[in-house]
Amino acid sequence: MRRLPALLTIVLLALLSACSSEPDGGSNPRLTLQLNWVPEPEFGGYYAAREMGAFRDAGLDVEIRPGGPGVPVMQLVASGQATFGITSGDSLLVARERGIDVVAVFALYQSFPQGIMAHAERGLNTIADVFQGGTLAIEAGTPWHRLLEKRFGFSKIRAVPYSNNLGPFLHDPNFAQQCFITAEPIAARHAGAHPRVFPISDIGYNPYSGVIVTRREFLDQHPDKIAALIRAVRQGWQAYLADPAATNQFMHGLNPTMDLATFSDAAEIQKPLILGGNTPPQPIGGMEFARWRTLAEQLRDLGLISRVEPEKAFVNP
Amino acid sequence: MAGSRHPQDTETKPDRGARLSLQGVSRCFNGPAVLDGLDLEIASGEFLALLGPSGCGKSTLLRLIAGLDQPDAGTIERDDPEAALAYVFQDASLMPWRSVLGNVALPLELGGTSRGERDARVAALLDTVGLTDAAHRFPGELSGGMRMRVSLARALVTQPALLLLDEPFAALDEFTRQYLDEHLQQLWLERGMTVVFVTHSISEAVFLADRVIVMSPADGRLVRDFRVDLPRPRLAATRTGIDFTRQVQMLADTLREHSLHA
Amino acid sequence: MKAPTPEVWLPPVISLVAITAFLEGWLALTAVPGYLMPRPSAVMGALIASGQELLRATLQTALTASAGLLASAVLGGLAAVLLCIHPWIRRAFYPYAVFFQTVPIVAIAPMLVIWFGFGPKAVMASAFIVSVFPIIANTLSGLLSADPALRDLFRIYRAGRLTTLLKLQIPGALPQFLTGLRIASGLAVIGAIVGEFVADTWENGGGIGTAVMIAIKEQRTDKVFAAVLMAALLGLLFFALVNVLSRTAMRRWRLGELSE
Repeated sequence: MRRLPALLTIVLLALLSACSSEPDGGSNPRLTLQLNWVPEPEFGGYYAAREMGAFRDAGLDVEIRPGGPGVPVMQLVASGQATFGITSGDSLLVARERGIDVVAVFALYQSFPQGIMAHAERGLNTIADVFQGGTLAIEAGTPWHRLLEKRFGFSKIRAVPYSNNLGPFLHDPNFAQQCFITAEPIAARHAGAHPRVFPISDIGYNPYSGVIVTRREFLDQHPDKIAALIRAVRQGWQAYLADPAATNQFMHGLNPTMDLATFSDAAEIQKPLILGGNTPPQPIGGMEFARWRTLAEQLRDLGLISRVEPEKAFVNP
Repeated sequence: MAGSRHPQDTETKPDRGARLSLQGVSRCFNGPAVLDGLDLEIASGEFLALLGPSGCGKSTLLRLIAGLDQPDAGTIERDDPEAALAYVFQDASLMPWRSVLGNVALPLELGGTSRGERDARVAALLDTVGLTDAAHRFPGELSGGMRMRVSLARALVTQPALLLLDEPFAALDEFTRQYLDEHLQQLWLERGMTVVFVTHSISEAVFLADRVIVMSPADGRLVRDFRVDLPRPRLAATRTGIDFTRQVQMLADTLREHSLHA
Repeated sequence: MKAPTPEVWLPPVISLVAITAFLEGWLALTAVPGYLMPRPSAVMGALIASGQELLRATLQTALTASAGLLASAVLGGLAAVLLCIHPWIRRAFYPYAVFFQTVPIVAIAPMLVIWFGFGPKAVMASAFIVSVFPIIANTLSGLLSADPALRDLFRIYRAGRLTTLLKLQIPGALPQFLTGLRIASGLAVIGAIVGEFVADTWENGGGIGTAVMIAIKEQRTDKVFAAVLMAALLGLLFFALVNVLSRTAMRRWRLGELSE
């Protein structure tokens, strides 16, 4: 009970700091990058950039904050509690629709890393076949959930919630589920199953993913810092793609639940998703107007947004 | 409000009163003995009062007689151990989820009496205590005095040879208490069962009992075995008579003597 | 049952109106963005716009929560009766009952999916697990706290163990059982909603828990609050129904007017 005054002070300070916006740390404010999951190969380039000193050399003080299930990245960036956050392109457009003025400055995945995973033994050939029967675990409320339902209909399948639990997939040969291409299929293979993965991009839905977003306000005030950050980030990703081993070791220390073999497999599998897909080829993380426009139109047709203003949604610093 | 009598009412036949013999009864609870080598003979049909302040062991003795507790030493014998026995608590202790009817019927239910016989006996008894109109009411709706009358009816429904009462009227107001004392006397005169009545009210003991056994916390035995000398039936007016007052005074003196040693 | 008098319903209505008005004004004044904290008017708007959908979802959750609560009442009551029989039984098995109270439902919900599969059964199981302990604990307390004088009475009339259980302990435990049921009612709704997060199938559209999940994913904060409001109202409704049941069942026990 004696600690109550101290406790109250801490709570009060926390509340106050939450209400305040950018840390006014003088000439070199600390920048925070809020991840949307625990440290995994999808963030390898950021940790590599930090470890190799790329941020420091660019004169930036960057803190990488791991995320996890349920971390509200968009809210954290919108309220100023994080300078940058990682999210997906479709979430960004929906957030802008809700009046959050955030902008994309970098897009890691040029090919959408979400897919549907089914047992190879079912002999399915296309993504459409998945919807002929069985159970499908899918994340409710996502744009691709709506798109798949509209395109193929859910009347012949049993749709259930998607969770991080691989158990139902492993125990039921007719169980299919949404997956992150660099994650669940690898784990399933290690558990002895034979997953067949159908990328969501097969149906023409291919938003940018692994997108770094920041508030328009910050972008307008510190364009030079953002440009420097992206340069450093690119360096980090180049290094990571060339040789992920050391960074994987580091990230495994932060996320011991994923073993090094999986880190290595995932780092390998994600390469084409990061490098390929655009004509003309973009530098790592670069974005095209046409793709943002296509995404915006798709979301409008699904009834998720009303205005199509892709030019306001992104910047290539 | 005496019970009405019907020619065919079998309840008017006096119940055979139990005869009890207590010898060398001792009982202690974690320390000094509450009862220590107590001897007591109770005749058939006698009305006995156990009188004393708190802690003198009168309730303990009553529970031992009832068989709810076992003595550490000594014996308690009844002439007929199988004969019906009834106990009335200070709180009427009725089941709130049962009607008056249901409460009075309980002992017969537990004893396996048939439905028809049960209904008849319960009705007769409710008539005796004057609660026929309240038969379908619930304890929550009754006054304290009415609840105690239900408790008495319940006690009498098995035609007990031995009726034990532990300060049954102590929680009631003076008028109700006196009324119920008179009522109880009436029931006893009609039925003839042996009654052991625990009280800390001297006037109540003198009014009701043939014999008053005085007990004290300082002494594990009987302090005094007092024969009440008053004609029966004792009426309301009896309470103001000189004989009554004198005997109450004698007992008061006895109690005061022994409380100095407590 | 008489309709509640104004002195009963007026204060909560007034406080509700006052709080809503205050929130609306304060949020408008401080220009808090809607995605952080929606104004009551926005929540109302979402409630009306999605009214039919949310109502149907609430109804679905109400069914699974009711089933779970019913299971809790029956199985919990039975468990309490078994536990009251002997101290050894209590010592041996009561810790497992406490387990139902302490286990975090979020952690075992995925297990429920493995045991019961996706669908209403797992959701009902979740509602059951979260709501059963208060019923066991309270009913057991009621069974063990029978009036000592009545217990003595049963002994005097040589009633057996079973008779005492059936005629004295069980009827006497009713008020405590109802107390447990009152606590369990709101918990059953929570349990159903948590179960839905993991196990709901959306054939009929999903329950209110699913609606919350989807609204979060779609970043519709106003709809999230609207759905949460419906969930809270459902919990309140359950509570109110149990209260009515309790008053009716306990009517005879109540003290009426003194007649003498």
